[in-house]
Parts: sequence; C-alpha cells; structure tokens
Amino acid sequence: MKKSYEIAKDIMVTIGILCVCFFICFTIHNAFERNALIPSVLVLGVFLISVITHGYVYGTIAAIIIVLADNFAFTFPFYAFSYLLPENIISTIILFVITLVTCNITTKLKRQESIKVESENERMRANLLRSVSHDLRTPLTTIYSSSSVLLDNYDEFSDKQRMQILKGISEDSLWLSRMVENLLSITKLDSANVKVIKTNTALDELIDSALIKYSKRYPYQKVTVDIPDEFLFIPMDSILIEQVIINILENAVQHAKGMTKLSLKVFSISNKVIFEIKDNGCGIPEERIKHIFTGYYSQDASSYDSRKHNAGIGLSVCASIIKAHGGDIKAENLKSGGCVFRFTLNMEDDEYDQQ
Amino acid sequence: MISNKYKILVIEDESNIKNLLKALLETSGYQVITAKSCQSGQTQFISHRPDLVILDLGLPDFDGMTFLKEIRKESLTPVIIVSARSEDKDKVDALDFGANDYITKPFSSAELVARVRSALRNSRHSADEGRLPGGKFESDGLVIDYDARRVFIDKKEINLTQTEYNIIALLSEYSGRVMTYAAIIKAIWGYVDINSTKKLQVNMANIRKKFGAKPGEKNYIVNELGVGYRMCERNE
Repeated sequence: MKKSYEIAKDIMVTIGILCVCFFICFTIHNAFERNALIPSVLVLGVFLISVITHGYVYGTIAAIIIVLADNFAFTFPFYAFSYLLPENIISTIILFVITLVTCNITTKLKRQESIKVESENERMRANLLRSVSHDLRTPLTTIYSSSSVLLDNYDEFSDKQRMQILKGISEDSLWLSRMVENLLSITKLDSANVKVIKTNTALDELIDSALIKYSKRYPYQKVTVDIPDEFLFIPMDSILIEQVIINILENAVQHAKGMTKLSLKVFSISNKVIFEIKDNGCGIPEERIKHIFTGYYSQDASSYDSRKHNAGIGLSVCASIIKAHGGDIKAENLKSGGCVFRFTLNMEDDEYDQQ
Repeated sequence: MISNKYKILVIEDESNIKNLLKALLETSGYQVITAKSCQSGQTQFISHRPDLVILDLGLPDFDGMTFLKEIRKESLTPVIIVSARSEDKDKVDALDFGANDYITKPFSSAELVARVRSALRNSRHSADEGRLPGGKFESDGLVIDYDARRVFIDKKEINLTQTEYNIIALLSEYSGRVMTYAAIIKAIWGYVDINSTKKLQVNMANIRKKFGAKPGEKNYIVNELGVGYRMCERNE
C-alpha cells in the first residue's frame, strides 16, 4: 500500500521535474537561440530527480530521456536524432556519464544516511543495555545482601530490624519488577517489524485501570480526573498506553518537588485524542527538557545514581510507545509553575484489529 | 488425623515460588499438595481430589492449558491461573476454557489469599453466594433484587435498561470471578458479531455512569483491561 504510493509519487516527481526542465530549455532555445545553457539545466534536473526519488531507477531513466531529448531537440540538426556528427556523440556520452555518476552518488549518499541512522540505533541500544544493567545491580544487591543477612543471622536481629530489612527487599523487588515491565515494552517495540496490535479501547476503562494501579503504588497523591462525558473508543494497545499514563504519573510523583496537585485531562479535537497530565511542582530544568524522552539512551552509564534515572527509562518507554502508535508526546513547563506532559493518539486507524 | 481443611493443589515448576505458595497457603489454614509438572499434577488431582487448583501456565512438560482442559472434562473444581505478563492472550483463553480467576506475577500474598478465599466460597455456594432468601444479592450497599429485577445502591433505586440489568445480574451471579468479554456477550446476546465488544463496553459505560462510578476509585465492578469485568464481593 505504502510502497505503491511511494512509487507513484516518485514517478510523478520524475515527470514533473523533466517537464519543467524541458520547458526551461525550450524557452532558452527559442528566446536566445543559444544552447550552451541547456546541458547544465538538464543535468540539474537529473540531479534533483535522483536526490528526491528512491533508488537508481528514476535517475537512470531520466538520464536516458534527457540525453535523447538533448540530441533530438537541442543539438544540430534540430528535431531529429543524429549521431553522425562526432561532437554530438561525444556530448551525448559526456551528458550521459555525468547524469549517471550524479545519480549514483546521491543514491550512495542516501544509503549511507540510513546506515548511519541504523548504527545510531545500535549505539542507543547498547547504551540502554549498559544503563539498565547498571540500574538493575543496585536493587539486586539490596535484595541479595538483605536476604542473606537475614538467613545467616536471623536470631541476632530484633523484630523491628527484621521488618525493616524485609521492607527494603519488598520495595526493591517491586522497583525491579516495574523496571522489567518497562524493558519488556521496549523490546516489544524495538524489533522494528513488530507492529503494535491495536484494539478499540474504551477511554474510561483505560483511565480507571491505570489509576487503580497507580493508586496502589502511590495512595497518598490523589489525581484529579477530567474526561469527556461522551463515550470514546480509541484504537491502541491498551496495556502499553496504560503504562504510558502510569509512567508519567509516577514521574511526577518522584520528581515534581513541592507538588500538591496532579491532574489528568483527556479531550478530543477532530480525530485526535489528547491526554494531558499536569502538576504544580518544581518544573523541569530547561537543559533537561529537550532530552527528557531520550535522555536515558544517551547517558553515560557510569555518571549517575540509579534511583533518579528510573524516571529516565520510564519516559523513554513512553516516547517509544507513543511513537509506535503514530502519536506525539511533549513535555512543557507551565508559566504558573509545574509542568505538563501531553500526548496524542489517533481516533481512527484502518489497521486496527477488531476484537 | 483427618483434617477438614480445604485441600489446594499447587502446580508450579519454579521451586521457590512453589515453596512460597505452600508456606503462604498453609499459614492461611489450607492443606497444600504440590506438583511440578502437568502430568504429576493430573495424578495428584485424581488421587487427592483437591478443592482448588493453583496453576502456572508455563510448565515444563505440557502447557498449563492442557491440564485445565483435561480436568474440565469431568470436574468443576475451581482453578486459579498464575501468569506472567507476556501470557496476556493465554489469560483470556484460560478464562474462556473455564479457569475461575487469574493472578499476574508478581503478586502480593494478600492478593493471592483473597483470590483463593473468594474462589473457594464461590464454588461452595455456587450461584447462591451473596443471595439472601428471597433472591437478593448484596454487596457493600449494592442490592440486586432478582425477583423484581431491580437494583439499589445505598437504598436508592438505579434505573437500568433490560440489557444493563441482565449484565449486572450475570456479573453478580459470578461475583469475585473475572468474566471475559466473550463469556458475557454469549450469555447476554447469545451470539458474537464484530461490534459486540463495543456494544458491551457502551453498556458498561452507561452502567458505570448510573452507578456514579469514578475512574480510579473503588467501584462495584472492576474492569480488567482487555480481558473482561469482575464484580467485587462483599468486603473485598
């Protein structure tokens, strides 16, 4: 579907540029009766075609057409193919070689760019892996050492101490399980050919489910909810979007210092649904806001303390999930203090699975 | 000594989790039998006739689902599925194949014991749970009068349509248990078409509105995203 659209677009572009070129050449030919400019206009045309279109094919075809047209229309004898004059043959060959080389070079350039993007992705993945391994080590250490301490010296601790140690184990393992949850989502999305499977989800059920899970973890920070009265049905992978909402709320609880209000608002504009999560905490430092959704990937693994950066992975996961859904996500500081996270989803999607 | 404790069969291959479940259930007053594989689970099931089974879906020999199908051929013993998140789809399948409930790893001990208790109670009284003489269901201020087909919350009558009432009555009959979308649709409309999940969800949205339910707060009906609905039991 997308492929045939692309081919059609490339063909249109090729024809369009060729027409413009010929038009210019005709104008020059008729108005000035000088042909020196014509080959350069034609080469420029081929150059543009090979930059804009995909692959060798269009550039090469355009080159052949141009060489023939040049010979036919703009070299003596006019309006006839003639390869009898040696200068015609030579100019044709030169023109042909120039156009071919151009289109070769531009294609190679494009390939290189895509390789660069790929290696960038690869680097990000390696960074992620490093950061994650680093992050996992801290809670694992707590869990392992606490439990082995309890096993070895159980009787030497008071009840209160034992409770404290156990509480540490429980907290850290919950943290670990959330981390793993996030990692699972990333691996689900990162394998490029796996598409999110969208099912129609009722908005109020999604919000309800997310908030219940959230309030189990953070019962003390209430969330004010404002969702439309009408029944909204949004195609999405509900488990993943639920995680986006929980991650953003969790990020606010952990990082928005001085926050007293946390609110979630959902509204729809034409065929988009916009989710807004607002807090009145300390806001995000300007230098961090740009990288807030990608920060985790590009960090140096050795330079930070793990607790602070769980939010990093949480938000990176949000960004990948929303991207995979074809939506947008943004973070902004508010003038009134605090910040807002906003993400959008599309209401209609012809590719969703009907349950 | 013959004990009259409930017997619970735990089928789980991970021995740490198995030991934990055993300890947890025994301190909660149940008698526990364990099995490490599907096959030994079946043998244990036949020789001990447990009152409840806790079943892990990822077993070494066969899928837990095989066990479920096998015992559902001849018995209604409640089965609680323990699943990891990656087995989301299996969860729905398991419920549709007759599992009574599921719990996702990692779970808290309180959560598990509550589910076990509720599954046992349901099987004991079957559909009578929560019903007072005279055909009534009561839970926390929600009253359903089956004879008059009327629903009250805190003594105030809620006006429901026929379909809405049927859904509520169905969920209350299986209170404490997750009903999948497919199961509810089959019971209410009798057939499944392409729009039936939507139809059900619209009805549920209306019921929630009429019940005055607020998202994120404790409601009478818990929605299990992508799976189905569960009506809370008394004091849950």
